[in-house]
Amino acid sequence: MKSKRIKSLKELEAIRSARKSELENKKKRVYLCSGGSCVSSGSDAIRRALEGALSEAELEVEIVETGCMGPCASGPLLRVEPGGVLYRNLTPQDANSIVHGHLGKGKIETGRLFDGAGNKKAKNIEEIPFFQGQQRLVLRNCGIIDPLRIEDYIALDGYSGMARALTELKPLELIALVERSGLKGRGGAGFPTFLKWRLTAESQGEEKFVLCNADEGDPGAFMDRSLLEGDPHSVIEGMALAAYAVGAQEGFVYVRAEYPLAVERLQKAIYAAEAAGLLGDKILGTDFSFRLGIRRGSGAFVCGEETALIHSIEGSRGEPRPRPPFPAQSGLWGKPTLLNNVETYGSVSYIVAKGAESYATLGTEDSKGTKVFALAGAVENTGLVEVPIGTSLGELIYDIGGGIKDGKEFKAAQIGGPSGGCIPREYLNVPLDYKSLQELGAIMGSGGLIVMDDDTCMVDVARFFLEFVQEESCGKCAPCRVGTKRMLEILDRICNGEGEMEDLDRLEALGQEIRDTALCGLGQTAPNPVLSTLRHFRKEYEEHIRDHHCAAGVCPGLVRAPCQSACPAGVDVPGFVSLVGEKRYAEALRLHRERNPFAAVCARVCFHTCEEKCRRASLDEAVSIRAIKRFMVDQEIVVQLPESRENEVNASRKIGIVGGGPAGLSCGYFLARLGYRPVVFEALPRPGGMLVQAIPEYRLPRETLAREIRMIERLGVEIRTEQKLGRDFTLEGLKNEGYDALFMGVGAAACVGLEVPGAEGAGIAEAGEFLRQYNVRGSVPVGKEVIVVGGGNAAVDAARTALRLGSKVTILYRRTREQMPAYAEEIEEALHEGVELLTLTQPEEVLRDDKGNITSVRCRPLSLGDFDRSGRRRPRPGEGALFDLPADQVIVAIGQRLDLGAVGGNGQSAGDMQAEELERNDAGFIYADPVTGQTSVSWIYAGGDAVNGPSSVVEAIAAGERAAYGIDLMLTGEDHAFWRDEIVVDTAFDPDADPVPYPRELMPTVPVERRRHNFDEVELSWCEAVALRQARRCLRCDYGKCGAREVHHA
Amino acid sequence: MATGADPTSVEITTTELESVLKSHEGERGALIPILQEFQERIGYLPKPLLREIGERMKIPYSEIAGVVSFYSFFSTVPRGEHTVRTCLGTACYVRGGKEVLASLEKNLGITVGDTTGDRQYSLEVGRCFGACGLAPVVVVDDDVHQRVKPAKIPELLAQYKEAQDEE
Repeated sequence: MKSKRIKSLKELEAIRSARKSELENKKKRVYLCSGGSCVSSGSDAIRRALEGALSEAELEVEIVETGCMGPCASGPLLRVEPGGVLYRNLTPQDANSIVHGHLGKGKIETGRLFDGAGNKKAKNIEEIPFFQGQQRLVLRNCGIIDPLRIEDYIALDGYSGMARALTELKPLELIALVERSGLKGRGGAGFPTFLKWRLTAESQGEEKFVLCNADEGDPGAFMDRSLLEGDPHSVIEGMALAAYAVGAQEGFVYVRAEYPLAVERLQKAIYAAEAAGLLGDKILGTDFSFRLGIRRGSGAFVCGEETALIHSIEGSRGEPRPRPPFPAQSGLWGKPTLLNNVETYGSVSYIVAKGAESYATLGTEDSKGTKVFALAGAVENTGLVEVPIGTSLGELIYDIGGGIKDGKEFKAAQIGGPSGGCIPREYLNVPLDYKSLQELGAIMGSGGLIVMDDDTCMVDVARFFLEFVQEESCGKCAPCRVGTKRMLEILDRICNGEGEMEDLDRLEALGQEIRDTALCGLGQTAPNPVLSTLRHFRKEYEEHIRDHHCAAGVCPGLVRAPCQSACPAGVDVPGFVSLVGEKRYAEALRLHRERNPFAAVCARVCFHTCEEKCRRASLDEAVSIRAIKRFMVDQEIVVQLPESRENEVNASRKIGIVGGGPAGLSCGYFLARLGYRPVVFEALPRPGGMLVQAIPEYRLPRETLAREIRMIERLGVEIRTEQKLGRDFTLEGLKNEGYDALFMGVGAAACVGLEVPGAEGAGIAEAGEFLRQYNVRGSVPVGKEVIVVGGGNAAVDAARTALRLGSKVTILYRRTREQMPAYAEEIEEALHEGVELLTLTQPEEVLRDDKGNITSVRCRPLSLGDFDRSGRRRPRPGEGALFDLPADQVIVAIGQRLDLGAVGGNGQSAGDMQAEELERNDAGFIYADPVTGQTSVSWIYAGGDAVNGPSSVVEAIAAGERAAYGIDLMLTGEDHAFWRDEIVVDTAFDPDADPVPYPRELMPTVPVERRRHNFDEVELSWCEAVALRQARRCLRCDYGKCGAREVHHA
Repeated sequence: MATGADPTSVEITTTELESVLKSHEGERGALIPILQEFQERIGYLPKPLLREIGERMKIPYSEIAGVVSFYSFFSTVPRGEHTVRTCLGTACYVRGGKEVLASLEKNLGITVGDTTGDRQYSLEVGRCFGACGLAPVVVVDDDVHQRVKPAKIPELLAQYKEAQDEE
C-alpha cells in the first residue's frame, strides 16, 4: 500500500499509468473470486491449494483476490489472465491441475470450463452466455480487481472522475452532468438522482451530510453487498462526488449487520483512501474536504427507510417519521442530508469518469443506464447480473440465467422484495424498467429477482412476505402494525384451508387501506406482494379456498404429501407405495382404486405429476411411482373391487353418460359405488375412448384396458356401444325418457387442420383419425416416408405407430424439443426406435406431383424470438434457407378441438335444444363448474377433454369423479363421496431412520430391435426384489398426517 | 429457554468499559456502536452493564432499553456458544428454507429464539444474508453454509461439535 498522499491530478495520473503498465505486462495472473458466495463455496481452500501448487511447481504467478465475479452458483471461480479463461466449481485438486497444466504448460483444463454456445466449452469469458448480453458498468471492477488495492482501482481510471470534477467542475456543473446521464435512484423508488442532489445543494446550512444506504434488507438482493465487497472505492468516490456537489463535509455508510465482510473491506478501503489523500482534508490539494465513516445496522429491516436510517445513525430506535421535511432540508441531526444507495453511488463514479452521454445511450427513453439484478431462486445461473434498463424479463431469466433449474416450468418472478410483486409467465416480455414493472403491480426495487417454478405456491409466497413485514414492522403506525397483522391472519386461514371467498375482497380492501394510510414506504408497499399475487394468481387463491387444494404441494394444512396433492385424482400415493413395500399388493391396489379405477391403465400411460413433486428428489431422485404402480397391478390375480354401497333409491334413478372414455367410465364407476346404475353411451364398437382409440397398444395392451372396464361393468355400469349422440340418440330424447342426470364425456377428438398450400387431398391424415383407424380397425393406409407435424402425444403416438408399420418417420415441430408437450419418455423412446425429430421447423407447403401424390414437404427453419403468453419463446422465421423433405404421407397433429357434431351447435344435431344450450368456456370447450362438473344446463354435467381441451387421462378420471360427486349431490342434496375420506394406512415407518440409499430405477424396456416391428408392450415390469427396494425409497411425507383432515369438498 | 445460564459468568471490568467509552468520546450517535461492541465481546447485553453505560453517557436507561429492544441483533440474555441462523429470505424460502429450519429444530431440540441446555447453540432466523445465489443457507457464527439439505443438518452441526472437542 502506498501511503504517500496524492496532492495533485498529475500525481494521480502518474500512479495510474505506472500501475496500468504493470498490470498490462503479459505476466500470468490468477484472479480468484473472493466474493461472499465464493468464500462460502470454499475459495479459501482454493487459494491455499494454488499457493501450495505454485511453490511446488516453482512458478511465480500472482494470485489476485477479487470481489464477486457474478455467476455465484458456479463458485468457487477462478480466472487466468491473459486470456480471460474462467474456471468454475473448483476443488483444491482442480486448482492443482490448473497450476501444473494451464500455468505450467499453457494447456487449458477443459473439465472446469463453462459451457459456451452449442455443445462447446467456453474458452474465455466472452464465450459464456451468462456474460453475453450483460453491460457491466457499475460492476465494471467487480471480479476484475483486488478491491483492497487502491492503485488497482486507480489504474482503471478510478478517482479520475473525482479529480476532474474537483478541479474543473463547479458543484452545479457536476449536478448538471448527473442530470444529463438520466440516472435514477437505484434503491427502488427511482427518484431522479440529480433532483435529490440539487435540492440538498440548494438547502441552506453550514453543515451537510451525505449518506449511503447499504442496509440492503430486501431478501433476495445482494448487489450492494457485492459492490461494497468487490469495488468499495467506486462507492467512496461516488459519495465524495456527491459531497462536493451538495456541499457536504461528512458522510456515513450505513451497512447492515449481516454483511461483516462488506464492512471489513469498506473500512480498509476508507483507510487506504484517507492515506492516499483521496478522503479527508484538502483532497488532491483542493479546498474540498470530506470525511467518511461507517455505521453498522443492528438487524432492523425498517432502517432501509431513509428517515429510520437517519434515526438509527443518530443512535435512536430506527423508526421512520412523516415527511416533509425531507432529509434534503432536515436530515441527520437536523442538517440537510443527501441519501442514495450503494448502486447509485457506484453509477455516479462511472458516469463522472466516462461521461454522462455514453451512459445515457443505454436504457430506455425514460430510464437510462444499467441496473444490477440479483438473480436467485429456481434459475440455473444464480448470481449478479447487470443489464441495460429495458432488457426483457425473459432474456434475463433464459439467456443470462440459463433457464429454470431441473428443467421445470417458470411460474413467476418476484421483483422488488417485500415491497414488490410477482410477474407471471404471461409477461416474460416485460421490459425491466421502472414504469413497466409498476404497471404490472411490481416495482424495480433494489433489483432482487427471485425466480419461482411450479413448486412455489403463490399464496404461501404472499403469506411469507406478510409474515416478514409483520415481523419487521416498527409498530409506530397502526395501518402497518395492525393492518398487516389482520392480512396475515386471513392468509394463514387460507393456507390452512379455512378461508372463504369473501376473504379475497377483504384482503384487497385492507391492502388498499394500508397503502393509502401507512406512515412510511415500508408500510405503504407492504400489501404489494398480496395484491400482485391476487391480481395474477387469483385462481390459486380460489383453489385453496374452494377446493382445499394447494397445487404446488406447499401449504402444510392442505397437503398431506406433495405427490398426493399433485395427483389430479388425489390417489394416496405414499399409502399404496408403502403397502407395496410390505408386499400387501391387494390392499395397495384397493387403496389406489378408492380414488382412481384405472390403476393398470395409469401404470402405463399416466404422466405422473406425482413424481415431479416427489420430495425424495431433493435428496437424490424422485421415487419411481409409476413403475411401482406397474409392479403392483401386475400382481392382481383376483380383480380387486373397492368398497361400494348398495342403495335402492339410487338404483332406481336414471343416469346417462355420453362417451365411454376415461372421464365417462370413471364417472360411472364412482356413481355405481354409490348404488346408482348408470348407462354409458359409446359411439364406437369398443369402450375406452382415447384409451382405446388414440393410445397405441405397445403402450397400453388392450386386455389390460378391457380388464379394468370389465371391473367397472361388474360394479353395475351398463355400457351400450355404437350409440352415437345425434345419430342414435339425442339429449332431448334422453330427457324425455326420464333421465335424471347426464354426464358428457365426449372428448375433444376433432383435429385442427394444417393450413398450408397442398394440405388438402390425398396423403394427408389427421393423427387422431390415423390412430383411431389403426387401433380400432387394425389397419390404416401408411406411406413409405411419413412426416408427422406436431409435438404432442398424438404426434409421437402416430409416429411410433407408422414406424411399426414399416415407414420411415420424421416429426416436424416448430418449437424446441424441451417445449414439446409430449411426455419426455415417449419422445426418448421414439428416437430410440428410429423416429427422426426436426425441431424449430415448420411446413410451408406440401408439394405434389402431377398425379396429385405428395412428393415432399417444403420446410422453413425457425428460430426462437420473444415470449408468448404461455411463457414459451415464440418461433419466428430463421436465417436458414427453405428445404424440401421427401415424403409421401403427412400426418397432422397440431391440436384438437371439441367435435361440434357431438354436442350440437353447428346444425348437425338440429332440434337437440339441450345440447345447443350448453355454454362454452373461453377456450371454446364446454363450461363446467370446477367443483361439481355441472354445466349451464342444470341436469347435464361434463368433464374431461370436452371441458379442458386435450388433457391427460388422470385429469379425465378426476373430472369423472367430481361429476359423480356433483350428480349425487344434486339428486340427494348430500355429500356421499365416502372415498374422499382419508384412510389410515397402518404400514410401518420409522421417522428417525435414515432414508434407504438405493438409487432410482427405471422400468426395463424391450430392446429396440425386438419392438420396432410389432405392437408388443414396450415397458416391462420389475422383479419383486427391485420393486420392494424402490417402494422403500419413499420418504413418507404423509407420516403423522393420516386422517388429519377429512377431505370433504362440500 | 436455557436454564442454569449464569449471567454473571461474563464480566466486564471497569477499565474495559472505560476504554470502550473513551474510544467513542465526542462522537455523535455513539450509543449503538458502543452497544454493538459489547454485544460482540460478551454475546449479550446484561442489564447492569446497560445501566452503567446509561449513567456514564447521561442517557436514561429507558432510552437505552428502547434501543436494545428495537434491534434484533441485541440480546439481553446470554446466547449459545454458536449462533445458528437459518435464512428465511425469499430465495432461501422458496428453495426449502422452511424444511431446513424444521430439521434444525428437530436436531437441536429447540425452537427459534432458544438456546440449547448445554448453551452450545442458539437458533435464530435470518432474513437474507445476501447469499441468495446459493440458497438455502444456514449461517453458523460467521460461516455461511450453502445449499443446505435438511437431511444433512446433523453433519453440519457435527463440525462445530468436533471443533469443541478438539479445544
